[in-house]
Amino acid sequence: MTTRAPDALAPLTGDEAQHVLSEALAMSSAAEDATAILESRVQALTRFANNEIHQNVASRQQALTVRVVIGRRCGVASTSRLDSSALRQVADRALALARLTPEDDELPPPAPAAMVAPLERFAAATAACTPEERAQAVGPVMQAAAAAGLNAAGALSTESICLALATRGGRFAYHPETYAHFTCTVRSDDSSGWCDRHRRDWRELEAAPLGATAIRKAEQSRVPVAIEPGAYTVVLEPSAVAELVAFLAWLGLGAQSEQEGRSFLSGRIGQRIAGESITLVDDATDPRGFGRPFDYEGTPRRRVTLIERGVARGVVHDRRTAARAGVESTGHACAPPAVEGPLPYDLVLGTGDATIEEMIGSTERGILVTRFWYNRVVDARRTIVTGMTRDGTFLIEGGRITRGLRNLRFNENVLDVLARADAIGRHAEPTVFDYAGNCVIVPALRTRDFRFTGVAPF
Amino acid sequence: MNSIADRALNAAQLAGASYADVRVVATRSQFLEVKNHRVSALQESTTHGLGVRVLAGGAWGFAASAVVDQREAERCAAEACRIARASAPFRRAPVVLDPLRPLEARYETPVAIDPFEVPLADKIELLARATNVMEGEPRVVVARGSMNFWEDRKLFASTEGRRIEQRIIHSGAGLSAAARSDDDLQWRSFPNSFGGHYEAAGYELIERFDLAGNAAATAATAAALLTAPQCPAGVSTVILDGSQVSLQIHESCGHPAELDRVLGHEANYAGTSFMTVEQCGRLQYGSPLVHLVADATAPRGLGTFGFDDEGVPAQKVDLVRNGRLVGYLTSRETAPLLGQGSNGTMRAESWAHLPIIRMTNINLEPGSGTLEELIASTEDGILMVTNRSWSIDDRRYNFQFGTEVGWEVRHGRRGRMLKNCTYTGVTPEFWNRCDAVCGPSEWEIWGTPTCGKGQPAQTMRTAQGAAPARFHDVQVGVGYGS
Repeated sequence: MTTRAPDALAPLTGDEAQHVLSEALAMSSAAEDATAILESRVQALTRFANNEIHQNVASRQQALTVRVVIGRRCGVASTSRLDSSALRQVADRALALARLTPEDDELPPPAPAAMVAPLERFAAATAACTPEERAQAVGPVMQAAAAAGLNAAGALSTESICLALATRGGRFAYHPETYAHFTCTVRSDDSSGWCDRHRRDWRELEAAPLGATAIRKAEQSRVPVAIEPGAYTVVLEPSAVAELVAFLAWLGLGAQSEQEGRSFLSGRIGQRIAGESITLVDDATDPRGFGRPFDYEGTPRRRVTLIERGVARGVVHDRRTAARAGVESTGHACAPPAVEGPLPYDLVLGTGDATIEEMIGSTERGILVTRFWYNRVVDARRTIVTGMTRDGTFLIEGGRITRGLRNLRFNENVLDVLARADAIGRHAEPTVFDYAGNCVIVPALRTRDFRFTGVAPF
Repeated sequence: MNSIADRALNAAQLAGASYADVRVVATRSQFLEVKNHRVSALQESTTHGLGVRVLAGGAWGFAASAVVDQREAERCAAEACRIARASAPFRRAPVVLDPLRPLEARYETPVAIDPFEVPLADKIELLARATNVMEGEPRVVVARGSMNFWEDRKLFASTEGRRIEQRIIHSGAGLSAAARSDDDLQWRSFPNSFGGHYEAAGYELIERFDLAGNAAATAATAAALLTAPQCPAGVSTVILDGSQVSLQIHESCGHPAELDRVLGHEANYAGTSFMTVEQCGRLQYGSPLVHLVADATAPRGLGTFGFDDEGVPAQKVDLVRNGRLVGYLTSRETAPLLGQGSNGTMRAESWAHLPIIRMTNINLEPGSGTLEELIASTEDGILMVTNRSWSIDDRRYNFQFGTEVGWEVRHGRRGRMLKNCTYTGVTPEFWNRCDAVCGPSEWEIWGTPTCGKGQPAQTMRTAQGAAPARFHDVQVGVGYGS
């Protein structure tokens, strides 16, 4: 049995992970090449609504994935059990799948040996955070909202994760990390405000002062008025910018979509696609982010310039797309089966020199957007996205916020939004998208002629 | 498994739980994708774990683990109780559940052909044959076919004496083709987008589709869309095919009918609901033609089961009757607030997740007639088919949808194909403009395999039964126009 003592609440250590992976690889000896990937995650989340804690959970999850190659055939199987019998079963199943699969002419050769420089992403305080500490952190937020006659809902979560990978060729990489998130919506009868923060060390979440921001926004946006749909100058807070920029990852910054001609970048590398003030890179080493040092093929992640001063420069690769393009992998392979190919997971948008206050102060008439919600692709090739404003939409008149607005629907071309930006924030904030696991580090920005097409009744 | 469940329940009670339940769940899944002459994915996964939910000090606690043995069951129970006690000082009132009597039961999805017993070679051959046909269309740059199969074996046991075993099987498959020109890219899917059509069924579902037989038309439509005229911007009568009506129901009725949303439990993430409790029995949600039920007993739906994850039996309840809002999706904790018992909609994505209120099968009851008869009775409008884009605000009022393909309807006849179709509206206004729903021959129970909700985020498979329907005075073309 390789299962660790059940009273331990941390993810697997490097030695424990290596032991499991070595055993899994040994059981895959019938394959010509094999890779074993282990992800172990301890997650806890305290959730509140209506100024009381209503859900509070903890889980320990783990997944071992075995990928084997026989000739030009590949098979992948995974399991949540780490005992010897389960490792034998998952290895046998991967081998069986490989034997059943047709030959893959483009199957990349085994990954060469590579040194992976570690990235410090683990905060012991986050791993040790207790349910009592989580409750004590969110309690003052609920009390402050209640004292103001408002209603708070939100969540404080912590995660300790290990990702480990080993190959038949002797490569072993191990990466421990932590993640902490606080988010809160404060509502009145006719308004709402919101705050959101992602950090590695949960003590930096500062729930109480952050919650005060949500309370202030809820109070400031009371009695919202409807504004006619149309083109407006908008000041987008970092969370709103993150929602838009994150779409670019899916719409064409990965090499597979570019090679298939589906990407907005297909045929446009080297061309101007955004304003000169826009530089977008993928950088797992950015200290503000949550990047990992290697990808799911064990390749070290490289910093990739995607857009440089508005000019399209490149896309991210895994081993398959790199072989097609005659380049080296940039270390952006996704977890098997990776049907979308390689993707950028650590987007960083270059900062400018303005503060949000300065952007508002120099706007004669415009709209301040706290966040966008339920954003979806209308047209992938044209990077048109629709969505709604939420939890704090304000009218700017004469350089100051004058009142709250009812929420608005937008339909916009993300690249055009970046091209029309005339002010960029000097501070960038990380946002982690939990459904995809990717991080976007972006500043606020102001852009002209942002197209709102509808208004909600609230 | 029973001994592990017993150990968890005993440990929870010894640790002070006034109520506890445990779910021990083993899930296996299989995913195949063939794309552009290659098996691009062939993956099997198994997960096994347990989750213990307790009430202690009047508050909830939940702990789950991928290690399934008696020691870990005890540890999870103790941890869940500790979590509950940490929450208790921050409760305004203790949680109260509607009562349930002891019961032992079993349920199994009826399947004709176990999908995990069908040889992989047969599945790959079928997908390869269909995608090869699609690649015969010169403008197709991506030809993709996929299959998904899931099996959940679940044991639920509670301190109230409920012990329920279930085996749930879901299957699905579909095709999609992307055609490209110098300045455009268009997708067409069969039988639906989101990877195809899904049901609580076995491999007989995949055999029913005739993927290979529909591949050529799928690719040809994708190519034809490249040169089709743009959907106009303006106000129009709109006919939606059943699959698009299904997603319209999902977003604009299913979610806002979730009582946890209505009560504010999801306010920070998924959002709240315009269908407030004061509106129940009063709100004219739709026209008198609109009858919506939540039916977890309906055959073949992804929301079909024997019991929910609180051990409550599957039920069929009215949400909207004659256009009027009359009910919600409820749980044992939320239903008593309406003076009711749970109608059994609590489901968890896995053993690692807390059960929350989820859509079962949210079905629009069929009207009469066929789609062709509906088109024949329409003077001027647009037929929109197969979802491509979907967005709705956090109270479920303002929505915008796009479809893969549309057709003009002129003088009762289907006219030119249209591309980039979008329409938008406000939920109760839109459903009150429903003036026709097609009949049982056009009705299908459409699966939605990726419904997101909850913190931590959970993905659930739900279904919506629907037939094509017609709506008048709808704003169209807004995604691209002014």
